[in-house]
Amino acid sequence: MAVPVFQGAVKFAYRFLVNNLVTLFLATAMTAIAWTLHRLGQDNIVDYSWWLLQQKPVESLGVAFFVSLVATVYFMSRPRPVYLVDYACFKPPATCRVPSATFIEHTKLINKDEKSVQFQTRILERSGLGEETCLPPANHFIPPNATMEASRAEAQLVIFSAIDDLMKKTGLKHKDIDILVVNCSLFSPTPSLSAMIINKYKLRSNIRSFNLSGMGCSAGLISIDLARDLLQVHPRANALVVSTEIITPNFYNGNQRSMLLPNCLFRMGAAAILLSNRRREARRAKYRLTHVVRTHKGADDRAYRCVYEEEDGEGHSGISLSKDLMTIAGEALKSNITTLGPLVLPMSEQLLFVLALAGRKLVNPKWKSYLPDFKQAFEHFCIHAGGRAVIDELQKNLSLTAEHVEASRMTLHRFGNTSSSSLWYELNYIESKGRMRRGDRVWQIGFGSGFKCNSAVWKCLRTIKPTVDGPWADCIDRYPVQIPEVVRL
Amino acid sequence: MVPSLSDEAMGVELEKSAVYGHKFSTVVPAEATGDAVTRELTNMDLIMKLHYLRAVYYFKQSEVVDGLAITDLKEPMFPWLNVYYPVTGRIRTEAGSRPLIKCNDCGLRIIEAKCSRTLEEWLSVEDSSRWRPLVPEKVLGPELHFSPLVYIQFTRFKCGGMAIGYSWAHLLGDAVSATNCINLWGKFLKGNPSLETLRLSNHQKKAESPAKHVKAPQKPVPVKQVKLAGECWQAPDTCKMATCSFKIAETDLKKMQGEKQNHVPPFAMISALIWKCLAKNGNDRESKSATICRNSTSLKSSDMLTNNLKASTITLDSSAANIDLLELATLILKHELDELESIDELIDRNSGKPDFVLYGANLTFIDMEGIDLYGLELKGQTPVQVDYNIDGIGDEGAVLVLQGRGRTDLTGSIQERTVMVTLPEDQINQLRGVLSSEFGIA
Repeated sequence: MAVPVFQGAVKFAYRFLVNNLVTLFLATAMTAIAWTLHRLGQDNIVDYSWWLLQQKPVESLGVAFFVSLVATVYFMSRPRPVYLVDYACFKPPATCRVPSATFIEHTKLINKDEKSVQFQTRILERSGLGEETCLPPANHFIPPNATMEASRAEAQLVIFSAIDDLMKKTGLKHKDIDILVVNCSLFSPTPSLSAMIINKYKLRSNIRSFNLSGMGCSAGLISIDLARDLLQVHPRANALVVSTEIITPNFYNGNQRSMLLPNCLFRMGAAAILLSNRRREARRAKYRLTHVVRTHKGADDRAYRCVYEEEDGEGHSGISLSKDLMTIAGEALKSNITTLGPLVLPMSEQLLFVLALAGRKLVNPKWKSYLPDFKQAFEHFCIHAGGRAVIDELQKNLSLTAEHVEASRMTLHRFGNTSSSSLWYELNYIESKGRMRRGDRVWQIGFGSGFKCNSAVWKCLRTIKPTVDGPWADCIDRYPVQIPEVVRL
Repeated sequence: MVPSLSDEAMGVELEKSAVYGHKFSTVVPAEATGDAVTRELTNMDLIMKLHYLRAVYYFKQSEVVDGLAITDLKEPMFPWLNVYYPVTGRIRTEAGSRPLIKCNDCGLRIIEAKCSRTLEEWLSVEDSSRWRPLVPEKVLGPELHFSPLVYIQFTRFKCGGMAIGYSWAHLLGDAVSATNCINLWGKFLKGNPSLETLRLSNHQKKAESPAKHVKAPQKPVPVKQVKLAGECWQAPDTCKMATCSFKIAETDLKKMQGEKQNHVPPFAMISALIWKCLAKNGNDRESKSATICRNSTSLKSSDMLTNNLKASTITLDSSAANIDLLELATLILKHELDELESIDELIDRNSGKPDFVLYGANLTFIDMEGIDLYGLELKGQTPVQVDYNIDGIGDEGAVLVLQGRGRTDLTGSIQERTVMVTLPEDQINQLRGVLSSEFGIA
């Protein structure tokens, strides 16, 4: 026996009652008080109040003072709202395009090991990547021309394009940026990428800048979390968050299978996001950040080693992905939603979950644990487009429909795995399709080395019209596309 | 003085090492061509598959050329390849089935190189193989699925001049198609937004009706069947071929004809000239028959990529050496060329076999006068010289007659023809000897 599964009207009634319990209770109470007051009559109320004030002044004032104190403390201790004013994603130029056939041909010419080439061909055929994903100019050479200069050139191209776009959209001036957070996992030059941005845009000398490197594909949400914390401390501030991954220096030249996946899946991308705690931005901001939940499974050795940068037997450096990756990702996700659930799930789902838990513990251990329906908590899902397997796994675990994961799948198809910026391409897809309405809640989930699972929850503040300027502008009409299981190359 | 063979060979070797610093990359069409787009190869395409066109365009140093970095040269290629997307495809052959081109956007190969000589030094070498280090010598195979159909090489000379080497697999199209293709890139480089809307029409196989009743008497197709050595689409080398080239001014040709009202056009004159010279030393067969080949220069957009050649063989009653020059030239001029309809019977519909060569099956004279070789412009600058050659020519050899670059000197404007001759090694030297001694052509 398990928690009974409700159908149709019963389900609706249950949810309505439980989720609006407090509202219903308060509404009833207020109606009762209003009725009583009405019955008493206006004059009686005024007389009674006067009498109270004259007879017991201390108590009355004490109560009034206490109420104001509680109200003040409450309002002062509320966190500053963090608004996402707007964001911009880098649109790769056609000159960077890498069709699948070209990728395989280059691999064949660079890599003499026939088995590796076949392995990578098989991966690409099943990867869910389309024919328009892009690699930086250095990777179009045979062999790739990965110099420091080329890496910096790629960083400048992707980051400056995204920031220029953002500044145009929002009218942001360089002197108005108070906080700068940049995350790029695998390229960390000196001076840092944040210094590069400060130099290019002539940002203020008292800017609070941070450069996060080595934190993997989930670092985008870590940057958002950091910016949010900083915006609690600094009043009336704007924070510019830049998420990217630089591909040029990270081409793997060896033959070890566990390290070949990143070559096949990682592509160019970047996103620039403007966050603010200024009240006046509330009027034009697109979203408000409601929750960020970070889960780190690094204490577990298996999780720590599952995405590991090391040298292979021949001395080539690459990122090795362990076979346990999907299992560990699943465990990390479970941990994350255990914390996130109570924050976002409606009472109806939480009650069911608690009942099932209590039942398992107290009544019968064989009761199935109840998996809360997150579709009740969110309208849109942005799952990090790390690979087809990740999206498939999450779709299964969270019982999501094809439309829920459409943004992730189509982003993987059009742009490939752009690492930390992929969540922003997915959000842009949803907006470009005209699906983002005021009041909608979005859940962004990122996974990354460590092993980490990070979530961010946004609430949409205004309905976004579908003529959205962005990386999807010229191709949104072609999507969604049907992506076959295997594409024969 | 005719340079000895070893000197020439050494000259080529020196030139080869003068070109260094090769960097390889690929350009693809800007837009995805789409799933499962293929281009069928016609019977004519398959007959030409063992031939490769190699062109080198030389540009002098100038502000324009200096200002063109490799990214500036590559950028217009992306929209250009949107138009010519089949050239970026790859051959697909399944065992026993007809080869075709899979238009999978795999791309053109681009090579960048440097040369330690100046352009002037390079062009002063009249060695006919001087173009070899400047354009890739690649053929299709051994991995047909991964062999690019077109290569472009950019070589920078020490002085700042540039050579653009262009290698084109003949199965894609004839010299007219190849030249129009690269000239279009020049137009994209200049910047012309209206070009973006150009599109190749669907390549239609001419209705190849099965075994239609042959009109009697059908002329034999001037092709020779060959057996491929190995996996590459390359004619087997049965004897060592060499090339030589020379220029002939139109006025010189007119002088040879004497005082006449209607001059025979240059191609016929030159063909007759060389045929006579070769016949003096050559064997019986060569002296009596030769193939004339002409490209069709009518430009219809539906024919942007096509092998539209006309060829046919002239058979003489006696050796060409015995026939008067002017008479021979007139014969060549008046000889009718065929559409090569009977090739349909030669090639098996299903397998695309067997393999043939057209150029060099007999001694072949190829008229390339109408081809706009000097039409490739780099932002308005035209080439100072174009070297052109065909690889994969059969043993009987071939002669290409190309438009030379018009010059003006004190006497007025001079129109000339460039003649490139590919023959077995020993015949080349003899030819040169005869040409210089009897006709005063170096």
